[in-house]
Amino acid sequence: MRDLRPIVRFRALLPRSRERRVALAWAAGVLVVAAATAPSVGISRDESVYFAAAEAYPRFWGEVVRAPSHALALADAYYSVNREHPPFAKLVYGVTHAVLSKGLGLASHAQGFRFGAFLFAALLAYLLATWGGSLAGLWGGVLAPAFFFFVPRNFYHSHPAVLDLPETTLWLATAYAFWRSAGAGGDQARNGRWALATGLLFGLSIATKHNGWFLLPLLAACWLLAAVPAALREGPRALGARFPSALLAMAALGPLVLLASWPWLWHDTWPRFAAYVSFHVHHENYPWSYFGRLLREPPFPVAYPFVVTALTVPLAVLASMAGGLAQSLSRIVRAVRGRGGEISLPTEVLLFANAVFPLALIAWPTVPHFGGVKHWMPAMPFLALLGARAIASAAQVLGPGRSGAVAGVLAALALVPAAWQTAHVHPFGTAAWNELAGGAAGAASLGMQRQFWGDNMIAILEDLNEHAASGARVWFQEATWLAVKEYQRDGRLRPDLAWATGPEDADISVWHYHREFLDKEFRTWTEFGNARPVAGAYLDETPLVQIYARPGAWR
Amino acid sequence: MSDRPDYLGPNYRLGAPRAPPPSRGEVWRAFARRLLWPPQPRLWAALFATAVASLGAYGLWFQATLGSRLPSRIDWRAAAALVSRDARPGDVVAIAPAWAERAREALPDALPVRPDLPLPILAFPDLASEDLTGVRRVWLLSLDGAPGAAPEVARALAARSAAVDGPQRLGALRATRFDLRAPLNPLYVFSDTLPSASVRVDDAACTPEARGGWRCPAPRPMRVAREIREVDFLPRTCIKLTPPNPGRLILDFPEVPVGRALRGHTGTAGGAGLGNAAPVRIRVKVGDEDVGEAEEPPGPAGWHLFQLDTSRLAGRRLPVSFEISSSSPGPLPLCLDAVMLP
Repeated sequence: MRDLRPIVRFRALLPRSRERRVALAWAAGVLVVAAATAPSVGISRDESVYFAAAEAYPRFWGEVVRAPSHALALADAYYSVNREHPPFAKLVYGVTHAVLSKGLGLASHAQGFRFGAFLFAALLAYLLATWGGSLAGLWGGVLAPAFFFFVPRNFYHSHPAVLDLPETTLWLATAYAFWRSAGAGGDQARNGRWALATGLLFGLSIATKHNGWFLLPLLAACWLLAAVPAALREGPRALGARFPSALLAMAALGPLVLLASWPWLWHDTWPRFAAYVSFHVHHENYPWSYFGRLLREPPFPVAYPFVVTALTVPLAVLASMAGGLAQSLSRIVRAVRGRGGEISLPTEVLLFANAVFPLALIAWPTVPHFGGVKHWMPAMPFLALLGARAIASAAQVLGPGRSGAVAGVLAALALVPAAWQTAHVHPFGTAAWNELAGGAAGAASLGMQRQFWGDNMIAILEDLNEHAASGARVWFQEATWLAVKEYQRDGRLRPDLAWATGPEDADISVWHYHREFLDKEFRTWTEFGNARPVAGAYLDETPLVQIYARPGAWR
Repeated sequence: MSDRPDYLGPNYRLGAPRAPPPSRGEVWRAFARRLLWPPQPRLWAALFATAVASLGAYGLWFQATLGSRLPSRIDWRAAAALVSRDARPGDVVAIAPAWAERAREALPDALPVRPDLPLPILAFPDLASEDLTGVRRVWLLSLDGAPGAAPEVARALAARSAAVDGPQRLGALRATRFDLRAPLNPLYVFSDTLPSASVRVDDAACTPEARGGWRCPAPRPMRVAREIREVDFLPRTCIKLTPPNPGRLILDFPEVPVGRALRGHTGTAGGAGLGNAAPVRIRVKVGDEDVGEAEEPPGPAGWHLFQLDTSRLAGRRLPVSFEISSSSPGPLPLCLDAVMLP
């Protein structure tokens, strides 16, 4: 007879509740799929810089352990790399790289850094499934992560070791902890622990990216909006009695976590913090294609984030999210009018505000508009939660007694085309456009931004390795020198290929289609004496990257 | 039956005149209002489910049919074979939509029958206002089934053609040949003959480069060369120069056959236009006669047309000079294209 003890032991390790098991399964699935699909995703401009930072930061902490008295003196040396962004996510990438690549030798350098990103993606999936389960039962838990990760651009962001998905994860985690800290029926000690967690998570959020700072006023506004009806009934003193301790924890712990995690601020704290704030307040505006216009300077179109969301999220998923948003708004209205006894106004306000605010923030005409959807990605988990709940609620209303089957059919109709689209565009996530846009081809006709970040060069590395003449000088254009070095360190690009600074000193030119840089392509035609690429990477026939070569440089 | 009120009834007011029967629109509006308001959960859920299901079905259809709407490698090879066989001097290939630039990789870049002559590929969203200098026939390769495909380019070419051959179906590609009704064949193309010109900044002569351009000396160093540069997002073959300030850049072309007009374009190379900067002025002399002035105006980028009448000097071979000046303080690379019309 087979020995079943290992299976029994494994089962004992699993959580008892079905919702937790679903959440765990989602986290494991996302981790595995992200790790398996990451090698085909290229190294973006930002990511190459974060790799360098992620390699430097853990060294500092190693030095601190070895010689604590020198810590302050060493902080600047290690933390001057990419000091315009706080360090938390980069430190995580550095640790996973140190363990998996340098320590155990289990992963390439890029994969080692990115394992930290996979962990953030897994945590995001876990949180979505958990919160979705709390809001809408089993189907809520099953569908909420799917509505996030089956959006091609979101799926793409679960791979690179950059800051947007970690920030999105920590935003969601902070909001979830805030929600739990106000949990009705929970005991005070538990609520207090969640309030403490809210403060710490908020700290990690602002220690990852500056978007996190908006959480404090946003959650305060959520509380205030939800408390107003009660205050109107019971008088303004009710507000003071119900003030959430989580907000105090955020205000007190957030800056402390930021300061503790960022040794760059240990010297000249205030001037450096002011410089950090100033960098983001006066951020450069990169040119960006939008319906054939090249947006260069503010004022930018207010509709931009809404339109780009509508043109990049698969249509049926978008409809689910829009339905969820409408359902949430109607529940808020009913609760305010005192007609929805079962509705939790604070929960609805929290979900609705977090689903809308990040988009509204980028809609502001003077806020820089670039980077696809990543700048309002913190809205996406909340839209996913609302979409999942809308599907589950619709199924309950339409098929009482067989709501599972109805939810399954609806979910399949929403998610199968989305999953297909996600697989189809992988690894070119920054070039993904939905059916409404007409995919990449339709978006090109509309004059939308074709791609960004230079990472799609990975698709032509094999061609370069196979055909470039020995020692050829390559003008990599949008790919940074750091990214090229990283490809070479991981053995993905021939080490003899040298860095060229323009078409004049290049034998080979790697043109990344960017409308604002077309002159680079035409200068290459002039210098090389021909306009015929020797190889290229295309998505639905739209060129992403094309290689030009001087005669004799391509074998 | 009488319409008068019953005197035993509850009141003796005259009855209101009968309301006219509701229009069809009012009936539909009332029906829609009853249907949607007050909100009925089952109805809203059904509407929501219908929207999700129909958009999901559309998404499946879109993904399933996308591949067949776009050309395959075999289709491109078929197009390359067709063009290689039938193209001749004076032909160009145009692609529609303009983003289908795999054509550059798939098609030959020179005429197989005359390898010394290039076979240009035009990826222009609009060909209606293009001069198409030196072009007799245009082969249009169009992706008619591709998302976002539009027939404007084919229409524009048809409007200026004497004969149209096709379309010929090559998988998801369509090949159509347009024989232009009035090809623009210039007497002289200034950018092609730049090496035979002389170039100076005021009185300081510039020195010729081996590559065919000119290098001008300090204190206002610059390069003047025939280049392909981006002007308003399109490739333009032109003389690229930087107007000096102070001073004038002078390009002297000897022995130019003079026709009825000198036609050309200006634009800022690789940028967003002059913006608020001062205009660039180009004074043109044919022989000793001042025939006029062209200007690259301030404002957004554009490919600005100028045409100067030279008909009174037509039929002679005379030197032509361009004097370029600007009072703008910054270096502004300018693209200048000029031809002599017959």
